[in-house]
Amino acid sequence: MNRRPALAGFLALTLGLTSAGCSSESEPELKVVDAFMPQPVSDMAAGFLVVQNSGGAADRLTSVTSPLSDDVTIHETKNQKMREVSSFEVPANGELELERGGNHIMFMKLKQKPKQGEKVSVELHFEKADPIKVDLSVKETAHNPKKQ
Amino acid sequence: MRNNKAAVTAVAFAAAAALALSACGTGDDEAGSSAVADISAAPKAKAATVLDQPFTKPNLVLTDTNGKEYDLREATKGKPTLIYFGYTNCPDVCPLTMSNISLAKRELSKADQEKLQVVFVTTDPERDTPASLGKWLSAQDPSFTGLTGDFPTIQAGARQIGIGIDAPKKEKDGTVVSMHGAQVIAFSPKTDKGYVLYGEDTSAEEYTKDLPKLIKGEAP
Repeated sequence: MNRRPALAGFLALTLGLTSAGCSSESEPELKVVDAFMPQPVSDMAAGFLVVQNSGGAADRLTSVTSPLSDDVTIHETKNQKMREVSSFEVPANGELELERGGNHIMFMKLKQKPKQGEKVSVELHFEKADPIKVDLSVKETAHNPKKQ
Repeated sequence: MRNNKAAVTAVAFAAAAALALSACGTGDDEAGSSAVADISAAPKAKAATVLDQPFTKPNLVLTDTNGKEYDLREATKGKPTLIYFGYTNCPDVCPLTMSNISLAKRELSKADQEKLQVVFVTTDPERDTPASLGKWLSAQDPSFTGLTGDFPTIQAGARQIGIGIDAPKKEKDGTVVSMHGAQVIAFSPKTDKGYVLYGEDTSAEEYTKDLPKLIKGEAP
């Protein structure tokens, strides 16, 4: 179950080469994969996903909205502290990875508590690219794709 | 790669890319190198770090989730014990750690489950009252012990077992930045010493593998 690094390598090898030299003419081309939410244990939750950018220009994830909560923020975790940030870079020909133990989307004051197997809809807003709607699959609390 | 078509496309892409690159000049291979780092970041062989010089169990007297006084040394004497420092306003690492331990604990025999003590000490006592801490912990495992008290006492206790935590800090915008400890420490039922460390990336499977040994006070 470790398909993503291979895919990332594939993207980097092909797309990295195509546009590295001509990035000024390119635009970000974004795709969201591996989106999930560990089943929350309180009235807050975290969301994780990977934004892949196959375009030659960088973009920034600036905000996230969801019907689950009116208070959704993006956080980085550094030295066991998490801090809200105003945006995350999605590098050109690269990816922004929100992963367990690291950067994440944080949902506060949940309107309901999603259960494993359900979906949580979110909309990601970017500096340049159009917003992207994606469903987070609710997984067990201990779900961590890196560890499977 | 998901299918053959993708593979063919990849080859075509690579060929075209090589041409494009030579035509365009300045190639920045940053994306390529980060992908390499990704692949080489293999999980380490062993989750546990066995300490050459075990820690003495801290002399911590705090308040449990029922509002009662809890003396760590007295309550866990001669019992296999895991201690973790975290806070409940923590959406990711703290519930992940507790949940991993809870999953592993359920794999033990009933007798062993009763022996194992799991103690969660809050690093954010101002917000984590006995009641809110109790509610949060019981959603994960009702058998876990949750402790709160005044921050300097908690910090001093953490420091005695090599865990550095800072007091929660209020930012200008009113949000509170708290921190969780970097490790779970296992104490032996034989010596009452903290002899094994687990990092925050330890999985439920790794705990499941090690818990039977920790219950006996053996090195995993």
